[in-house]
Amino acid sequence: MTPTPTPTAATVEFRGLRRTFGTTTALDGLDLTVAPGELLALLGPSGCGKTTALRMLAGFETPDSGSVLVDGRDVTRVPAHRRDAGMVFQSYSLFPHLDCVDNVAFGPRMRKTGRAERHRQAAELLELVGLGDKGDRYPHQLSGGQQQRVALARALALRPRVLLLDEPLSALDAKVRLTLRDEIRRIQRELGITTLFVTHDQEEALSTADRVAVMRGGRLEQCAPPAELYGRPATAFVAEFVGTMSRIPGRLHGGTVEVLGHRLPVDGEAPAAREVDVLVRPEDLRVTADGACSARIVATAFLGATTRLTVRLADATEVKADLPTHEAAALAAGDAVTVAPRERPVLVAARPA
Amino acid sequence: MAGLTPLTRAWRPAVLGLAGLYFLVPLAASVVFTVDVPGRGLTFDAYTRIIGTEGFLTSLLLSLGLAAATIAVVLLLLVPAAVALRLGAPRLRPVVEAVCSLPLVVPPIAFVAGIGTVLKWGPEHLSRTPLFQTFVALQNPDFPVVLVLAYAVMALPFAHRALDAGLRAVDVRTLVEAARSCGAGPVRALVTAVLPNLRGALMNAAFLTLALVLGEYTVAQLLGFRPFAVWIVNVSGSQAQMSVAVSVLSLLVTWVLLLALAGAGGRTPGARRARTAKGTP
Amino acid sequence: MTASATVAVAAGQAPARRRRRRSPAPLAAVPLLVFTAIAFGVPAAAMLDGALTTGDPATGATAYGTGNLTASLQGAYRTALLGSVELSATAAGLAALLGLPLAQAVVSSRSRALREAVLTASSVLANFGGVPLAFAFVATLGNSGVLTRRLGLAEHGWSLYSFWGLVLVYLYFLVPLMVLTIAPALDGLRTQWREAARNNGATTLQYWLHVALPVLAPSLLGGLVLLFGSAFAAYATAAAMVGSTVPLVTLQISDALSGNVLVGQENVALALSLDMVVVAGLVMAVHLPLQRRSSRWLD
Repeated sequence: MTPTPTPTAATVEFRGLRRTFGTTTALDGLDLTVAPGELLALLGPSGCGKTTALRMLAGFETPDSGSVLVDGRDVTRVPAHRRDAGMVFQSYSLFPHLDCVDNVAFGPRMRKTGRAERHRQAAELLELVGLGDKGDRYPHQLSGGQQQRVALARALALRPRVLLLDEPLSALDAKVRLTLRDEIRRIQRELGITTLFVTHDQEEALSTADRVAVMRGGRLEQCAPPAELYGRPATAFVAEFVGTMSRIPGRLHGGTVEVLGHRLPVDGEAPAAREVDVLVRPEDLRVTADGACSARIVATAFLGATTRLTVRLADATEVKADLPTHEAAALAAGDAVTVAPRERPVLVAARPA
Repeated sequence: MAGLTPLTRAWRPAVLGLAGLYFLVPLAASVVFTVDVPGRGLTFDAYTRIIGTEGFLTSLLLSLGLAAATIAVVLLLLVPAAVALRLGAPRLRPVVEAVCSLPLVVPPIAFVAGIGTVLKWGPEHLSRTPLFQTFVALQNPDFPVVLVLAYAVMALPFAHRALDAGLRAVDVRTLVEAARSCGAGPVRALVTAVLPNLRGALMNAAFLTLALVLGEYTVAQLLGFRPFAVWIVNVSGSQAQMSVAVSVLSLLVTWVLLLALAGAGGRTPGARRARTAKGTP
Repeated sequence: MTASATVAVAAGQAPARRRRRRSPAPLAAVPLLVFTAIAFGVPAAAMLDGALTTGDPATGATAYGTGNLTASLQGAYRTALLGSVELSATAAGLAALLGLPLAQAVVSSRSRALREAVLTASSVLANFGGVPLAFAFVATLGNSGVLTRRLGLAEHGWSLYSFWGLVLVYLYFLVPLMVLTIAPALDGLRTQWREAARNNGATTLQYWLHVALPVLAPSLLGGLVLLFGSAFAAYATAAAMVGSTVPLVTLQISDALSGNVLVGQENVALALSLDMVVVAGLVMAVHLPLQRRSSRWLD
């Protein structure tokens, strides 16, 4: 049994969205385009406006200015119940007085679909989310993960052209979160539905999305595929928000920067000041016990295949470095070591005051 | 919310306005009634004479004394039981809950009918036994202990609900265990860790009991005692204006006290914040 | 050394934990249970005993029987019982209808001050209005009340001491009681439900019909029976409004107890009390399961 795929995947466009709540600015001119069939993650710290953007697409918020377009049609003023966008909420959104089938069939019932037909559809959708045998259960009889599966089925019941996921996994246990995350990805691929996924968990965003849009203070910082976001972050904020990043003091010399006694080419734009911070990923630092030994290991954390070392440099800067565990076995907290960057272009950022 | 029509926007003020009208008019009219006496014009006599009127102070003091005693009895009975249920005897919970709800099933007038019957056993059957003295003491008109017993029973459901709401918001077991692991003995753990966190609930329970005792009429009147509420009714025959003045004052004073309590306690138990979605202020 | 110390600590802990499990905690509930058994149990038993004891005035002999109960369901007593039921049902139904929109207006208001003021005022009026409330209405709409005189209501046949007069007074404490009962349930209605309904194509009306009201139904029904019980048991209000011509069971009990009407009717009063307990018991029997279902949905 294959559920009918969404007829046409839609393009979603946010154009110059602005919205303030009292004195706080939730959105400060957001421009973003989501391609048909794409799963795009909106990632950012709390208060960055990602949820507000999603709720504008769902019709629960109205922008002060700017517009929301679906397939080129302006839907900014269309009321929520005629939006054609299925939404999964953070949690607790299932209707407590209805069993799973009736929850999923709620939308079709509002649209006056016949009882037999909507129940058939609901059963199909419950099958799709792996709960085919739980149709007669009530929400309070289900686990958190199962409730979110039903919520997903319900969001798909009206065959929406866009699927909206508002931190659907944040209330779940770590393990359930992983399986459900993969499940969502599978279903999204199967249906080919344009999907916006709001999350504050960078790992969740990187592992699920086709593209990740990093937001900060109501604006878009960068929108790129996960690998590019990680490998070539456009700004220092993105670099530090996505993955782990250490700041090491360095000095600019034209297009190169001197750091830890090495000269590396600068990637991207450099600030005006000569004294800068160089941003380095843990896997881009080498730690050895030979040489000048000007640094000292403060702590080690076993991560499985790699071990993460926290190293204090001579100038008291602390940096993180990942080593293959078999190499790290020879090192312990308190050991004197030498830290060196790998030879590759690096990002630099202005040193915070 | 997007797309609100003027009609859906206007319903709230309309409802609140009508309700305000219904609830304020009798109060306002009562005030007018007390100061605008037919044939005498505007006068504040009804208020100025209250204190000097025979029986006012004695009945008010009696009510306050009864209230204090009732609050003490209720809290001393309920607090240990409620805390113990959270700590070590969850199986007793339904029993205590049932016991505390029973008074709701017996209306005050039925309850007082039963009490009256019991009190009549004194002179009828027990006049030669030492128990008779107890019965006499119970009905001492200066301080009728029987009313304290009755009021404590009637206050149980309210006080229990208030305490239970407070206890539900606090993880008593963890608090006690944390205090114990910091070196506090069991009693000290209760007094220093649990009770301060229940302050709001205790105040609420105490206040509900106070208000119940101050306003109670049925039991006291039918047993022939004369606390505050009974005095108001008795005085109404001869001094209509004053009985209304005292009534309005007592309603307002109770309300203001309760408001102050809500302000001091931060939140009333019923005032659970609505969960607002993220992004909406 | 270290290992043996750890063992010793562990061994020391185990009995301590076992001791706590057999803790004296249940004992703390004993005073409460004993107190209720005496202060509540004895009068309740006395009422039951009296209600079921029929005395022969001529000989003074007494016997157990249902004579009082039968008497309490006949004649003037029957009228009073039915009058109480009719008044309570009418007032409770109206109060539920009026209280729901008021509670929603208060709960959905953004003003915290309004909310606190209304909820505390409600708890004063709902639980402790009694006598003061009766006098406020007498002063307003009684025979020489302010509004009665100013608006000449008496000429239009108005009387506070009638069935509808009492309903109007009862609403003054029943509507607040409804607000108090239903407000937590309205608070429990999650924003996500409304948004999920909208998201699934429901209009505001459809949301109320298909989600909010069904979810609230147990609380609404529970509130309704609670209001009925409260109105049924009310005595102070009616008693303070002397001159009421509406027959009420509470007034009958008080009359019989104080020998106002006929001497020797005490046991019939006890039987009437038992009737009331049965009604109140039924109310609770309906209310509690509804309450449980509602809290499972809304907490």
